[in-house]
Amino acid sequence: MTRRFHNRKLWVRLFLRAVLPGMAAAFGFGCGRELQPAYDEEGRRLVHVWVHSGQAAERETLRAQVAAFNEANPAVRVRKTVVPEGDYNARVQAAALSGDLPDLLEFDGPFLYNYVWQGHLQPIGALLSESLRQDLLPSIIEQGTFDGELYSVGVFDSGLGLYADRRRLEGVGARVPEGVADAWSVDEFDEILAALSEAAGGRPVLDLKVNYTGEWYCYAFSPVLQSAGADLIDRETYARADGVLNGPEAVAAMTRLQTWFARGYVHPNIDDAAFVQRDAALSWSGHWDYPRYAEALGEDLLLLPLPDFGEGSRTGQGSWNWGLTRRAHHPEAAVAFLEFLLRPEEVLRMTDANGAVPARREAIARSGLFREEGPLGLFVEQLENSAVPRPATPGYPVITAVFESGFQDIRDGADVQAVLDRMARRIDEDIADNQGYPRR
Amino acid sequence: MGKQTEGRERRESENPAKPVLRVRDVQGLGMAGPALAGLLVFVAVPFVMALILSGTNLRMGSPLETRFVGIDQYLRVLGDEAFRRALVNNSVFALVVVPLQTALALGLALLLHRKMKGRVLFRTLFFMPVVFPMALVAVVWQVLLAPGPDGLLNSLLGVLSFGAWVPRDFLRDPHFALPAIMLMSVWQGVGFQMVIMLAGRQGVPEHLYEAAAVEGAGSWRQFLHVTLPGMRNTIFFVVVVTTILAFRLFDQVDILTQGGPQNATTTVMYEAVRTTFAEARVARGAAMTVIFFLIVVALAWAQRKLMREEREIA
Amino acid sequence: MNRRHSSGWVSLAASYAILLICAGIFVLPIAFMIVASFKPDELVLREAGTWRALILSEASLDNYGAVFERVSFVRYFINSVFITGSIVLGGLLVNSMAAYAFARMQWRGRNLCFGFVLILLILPFEAIAVPLFYQIIEFGWRNTYHVQIIPFIANAFSVYLFYSFFLQIPREMEEAAAMDGAGPWRTFFTLIVPLAKPAFATVAILSFLMHWGNYLWPLMVVDYDAYRPLPVAIAEFQTLPPIQWGDIMAFGVMMVLPVLLVFLVFQRGFVQGVASSGMKN
Repeated sequence: MTRRFHNRKLWVRLFLRAVLPGMAAAFGFGCGRELQPAYDEEGRRLVHVWVHSGQAAERETLRAQVAAFNEANPAVRVRKTVVPEGDYNARVQAAALSGDLPDLLEFDGPFLYNYVWQGHLQPIGALLSESLRQDLLPSIIEQGTFDGELYSVGVFDSGLGLYADRRRLEGVGARVPEGVADAWSVDEFDEILAALSEAAGGRPVLDLKVNYTGEWYCYAFSPVLQSAGADLIDRETYARADGVLNGPEAVAAMTRLQTWFARGYVHPNIDDAAFVQRDAALSWSGHWDYPRYAEALGEDLLLLPLPDFGEGSRTGQGSWNWGLTRRAHHPEAAVAFLEFLLRPEEVLRMTDANGAVPARREAIARSGLFREEGPLGLFVEQLENSAVPRPATPGYPVITAVFESGFQDIRDGADVQAVLDRMARRIDEDIADNQGYPRR
Repeated sequence: MGKQTEGRERRESENPAKPVLRVRDVQGLGMAGPALAGLLVFVAVPFVMALILSGTNLRMGSPLETRFVGIDQYLRVLGDEAFRRALVNNSVFALVVVPLQTALALGLALLLHRKMKGRVLFRTLFFMPVVFPMALVAVVWQVLLAPGPDGLLNSLLGVLSFGAWVPRDFLRDPHFALPAIMLMSVWQGVGFQMVIMLAGRQGVPEHLYEAAAVEGAGSWRQFLHVTLPGMRNTIFFVVVVTTILAFRLFDQVDILTQGGPQNATTTVMYEAVRTTFAEARVARGAAMTVIFFLIVVALAWAQRKLMREEREIA
Repeated sequence: MNRRHSSGWVSLAASYAILLICAGIFVLPIAFMIVASFKPDELVLREAGTWRALILSEASLDNYGAVFERVSFVRYFINSVFITGSIVLGGLLVNSMAAYAFARMQWRGRNLCFGFVLILLILPFEAIAVPLFYQIIEFGWRNTYHVQIIPFIANAFSVYLFYSFFLQIPREMEEAAAMDGAGPWRTFFTLIVPLAKPAFATVAILSFLMHWGNYLWPLMVVDYDAYRPLPVAIAEFQTLPPIQWGDIMAFGVMMVLPVLLVFLVFQRGFVQGVASSGMKN
């Protein structure tokens, strides 16, 4: 019996590993083509880079940075490919399997652990200068580290908070919190929502960015769980979501969130303009909206911590960052580009464009936005005090996918306990399927 | 080489008039070859591969060894709530859209069959959406279906019902999301069917109507006894095509609802693609593919059988 | 007689009424899209629920300019034209040849091969999209043109349409050609192809309509602009911040207008092509 089983396995492997590539060879062009050549026609070293599409200002800044780097380094050519955010991870997986990953890969922070586990990335700690590593924010180092090795660094960290329209808050006499410590309690938040909604004649007042798809939900709403004393997964072992994601604290918090939808407070925001058109009074959003919001609301823009669901206000951290793939042709050139992006002035150029927290202390010190009393000082305060990293496990891609679909179900009024039970079951099933994600 | 000659010798001794490779065999196969190779490599091989993969636990990118898991993937897929809902949704879609679209196409075709002014204009208008890619249709309809009283469809229904209509977020409402997708699918597709029906109607000889009229049959009876039997094959063709179309449903769902709300619009294809592509669970996606294949084959078989029976009756 | 006459008049009026209502429903989304493409972005949604949805209050071409500025529209368009064109042309050649071999040539294995084609007749592409996706990853074909072309060239339905048409061509003409010493290849290309122009037009139009809107496959196998066709591009554009509905509608108009114009010019051909797809059963 075992013998037969083994034979069948062999047969499958033969098919997948011999017949298909054989057909590929017979069908020619695929195999001979070098998708990511190491040198361009003029003999310059090529560094292939994948980046996510991002906000318009980010795209423009990065374009200018690549041009500046290429200008300054005539022997190297950085080739940038913009990949849509929607199915970014799916595309990385497919590219990895077909052997056309770029040299330098940008990806959303928590996917790192999965990519390292799959063997796509190489450590970069030793390639970066000591002074640079010392100057990086601890949250950046934490996010980029897996099994004691540094695999990725970001140019910026993220900030997540509640943008508010000062005039609308004053209109209902709401208290304005000073910082993380005196964030609104969720009861207070409920009262403010009710008052704002009444003042707006029943129109939706809260923008939760429900027009987004993908990573947003896990990033933006797992802090709700953590603030209530629950979490996505057991952080000691990363082996179990059951009992953590579907406990009474989680159910209570997500039920509360559900009532905001049920009462019609939440703006559908299908043109992503609810807050800038001053239709919504509150916007639960990240640093990337700051430039746009500041322009639209000017002095009336407030940045507040997320509401406290019981255990203190919590928020998200981590953002897009850069890793070096194992197949990189010129690691030193790729790292040179990365170090260029991490120069304090380049970091500031990017964070001025997207409102993110600079990844370097030196850049923060030079920035007007992020000083303690600066308009985005709260983001720095949060990173030091109340930000929770997303789970550092290779199973994260499944956790976020499960969370997104579960959030949609809760949004649409499904029974919260049932949804959370199902989410926990799916996450645990995935862990079991992957034999607990064994480390090598 | 040796084997081949041996075979030829043997065959030739059996049937000396029939060599193993005649010129016309080579010519025939040569002419059909490119198409056959394409169908083999891009349809038959993937299907065989789906069968094999669905018996494993293969995931893209996983460093763990791929194992043979028997029928586990099928058991899991069939036990999965979302997938079962997808089967229901596809069936509901087919049960509503097939009769609706066929009847609408037939109705419009019969109206346009009449010699009247402007029929070419009307035919052109009804056919126009057919040249719209479904992705574009979905994008445009997303605005038409916008929630709240500002949405075009909401406000139109409000006017038509003299204000009795309560504005809805069609695509987020479990009761309205699938109907909304059906509506836009019919809008896009009915022109195609209408044109086929129109041709089918033109194939029914006019003298049959004259004979029926002489026998005193009214237009309803003419429709039942002349039009329908005369257009039977055309109608059958439209029904088959539309039914299979109903099971292919993907683009609109991917762009507009991502299967939500609460799986109200998820489809077999949507589940299969998400599983394979977004979640990298190739083996599970392959199992869904095999199930999808079986459904299509079953539909084709049932329709062929029905058609044959009808032919026997007629 | 009189009664019949008046009822004819009533039913004609009723026909027109129904047709006009239907025409309104069919035209409304298209008209909305066109009007919205000229409007300032923030008015598109705000005016969608009013009679102003179909009125151009502040018309400008800004949205069209913005599309070219924000994304590589021209590239997407060229991609779509090249991909669809290659599928159509390649398909005409390959499928008509196969159909001729099945309809007119005697060769061993013909029935077996034709049976194979018939089995695949009803099988939609979606049924094999998932394993094919994995297969082309193994081929190393992602992010190319040919991955979007080659799998679609051989098409069982096209073979079948050609096959039915070739069966109707009288045999005598080929026999005459054979007397002159023409082999099947020459007979096919010099005699049959010119005779079968209507069949070629039909298959070309059907296969164009089938593939111009391809979304699922390029979504999975194309990662970036260089090879992205229009349907995937508009879906991406729709979620690319900042979300501007005027720009999106302008993208839509530019994406469909050329095809719409071709359709209006050749609409007889289109209609006949589609119509004859149903006649062969």
